[in-house]
Amino acid sequence: MAYSLKSFEYFEPSTIEEATRLLSTYQPKAKVIAAGVDLISRMRHRKIEPQYVVSLMNIPGLTDIENDEESLRFGSMTTLMSLELLLKGDKTYAALYEAIHNLSSVQVKNTATLVGNLCVATPASDMSSALCALNAKLKIAGTSGERIVPIDEFYLDVGKTVLQPDEIVTQVIVPRPGSHSGNAFYNLLRVKCDVAKVNVSVSLTLDNDRCQEVRIALGAVAPTIVRAKQAEEKLLKSNPFDEKAIVEAAQTASTEVKPITDIRSTAEYRQEMVKVLVKRALEKAWTRARE
Amino acid sequence: MGEQRITLNVNGRDYDISIEPDMVLADVLREKLDLTGTKVSCREGECGACTILMDGKACLSCLTLAVQAQGKKIVTIEGLAEKGQLHPIQKAFINHGAIQCGYCTPGMIMSAKALLDENPNPTPDEVKTALSGNLCRCTGYVKIVDAVMAAADDMKRGENK
Repeated sequence: MAYSLKSFEYFEPSTIEEATRLLSTYQPKAKVIAAGVDLISRMRHRKIEPQYVVSLMNIPGLTDIENDEESLRFGSMTTLMSLELLLKGDKTYAALYEAIHNLSSVQVKNTATLVGNLCVATPASDMSSALCALNAKLKIAGTSGERIVPIDEFYLDVGKTVLQPDEIVTQVIVPRPGSHSGNAFYNLLRVKCDVAKVNVSVSLTLDNDRCQEVRIALGAVAPTIVRAKQAEEKLLKSNPFDEKAIVEAAQTASTEVKPITDIRSTAEYRQEMVKVLVKRALEKAWTRARE
Repeated sequence: MGEQRITLNVNGRDYDISIEPDMVLADVLREKLDLTGTKVSCREGECGACTILMDGKACLSCLTLAVQAQGKKIVTIEGLAEKGQLHPIQKAFINHGAIQCGYCTPGMIMSAKALLDENPNPTPDEVKTALSGNLCRCTGYVKIVDAVMAAADDMKRGENK
């Protein structure tokens, strides 16, 4: 591995407009840097070699967090640690808290941004999984204006998103789950700090003994985060929504995904663990929804 | 692509230096400021050897561009001793044999410092969590956790032997 980074020109714009203009001018040789935790590592490995690096550091407002009755909203420079501290002890966004709490080391969480993690677009992202279950949306700015993209539609492939070369994710919007709602996150790791073999996030809303809404997001079983839509449909149709329905949905989820075998796990084991973790996550979310 | 003039505040002192923007903070500390107490090992964010404090928080200097550390208060292991006296955490590491080869020690101590500044009464589990991003390949972690717990006690008693 190379010791140093290849040289580049560094910009520190003070507005989003200026940042998107720089990206537009220097595309495709420009990259955005937030904290740099992932970017610097990949640049050192020569996996990417940007000639221009545009920092979001000096753009005001990107570390703002707002948490009200409508939604949780945070800017793209918000660190994982500040979100972990904010969400601690609050079950509203439990899946997101659990995903962050399980992740990496103190040092990484102190600097790394959640949006940075999303934009790396690894299929195993615990953050993407939790936010997908929570139906999050991303606010994206580009030279031609702003748009909002549901996280379901953000990913195209491993390492690929819908972001255009001049675009930057500026904010994440997580709608506040209503009453009788619960959510949960589970992942499977060899040791803490590992990338997940499988991760599962679930969010559901109850209507008496029926399941009114449910989202099941699975990570590390496909090129992008995916929803277990057949399992979701089963749960919505189940009458009553009960333990039996959960067991059946978990079984369905494990057969509707087609994971691969790689360095971290085998396809068979991943499928089996999807069943186990979907069951656990649904049970936990169900319990929380009734609390 | 040309050097850039920056100011870094390290251990309470402002350093005006000229660097290439592609230099990471760990290399600037070691090579430009001769503060070689900060160690570099994996350059991947796995080992924690390069841990320093930025605005009081434990951060990885190998995965931070030095240009992005401007305006922050940086503290390295060299900034802990006062008036020729080692910091209580440093003393505790020595007294508890929490050092063998010593390469992980500066990072361990900086992570411990960040913890104790925020939480002066940690449980052993909280110490383990705070140090989970710091790897030691010599001693194992028992003596290190013991040392941090002892340092917490010392700091509470205000002892500075």
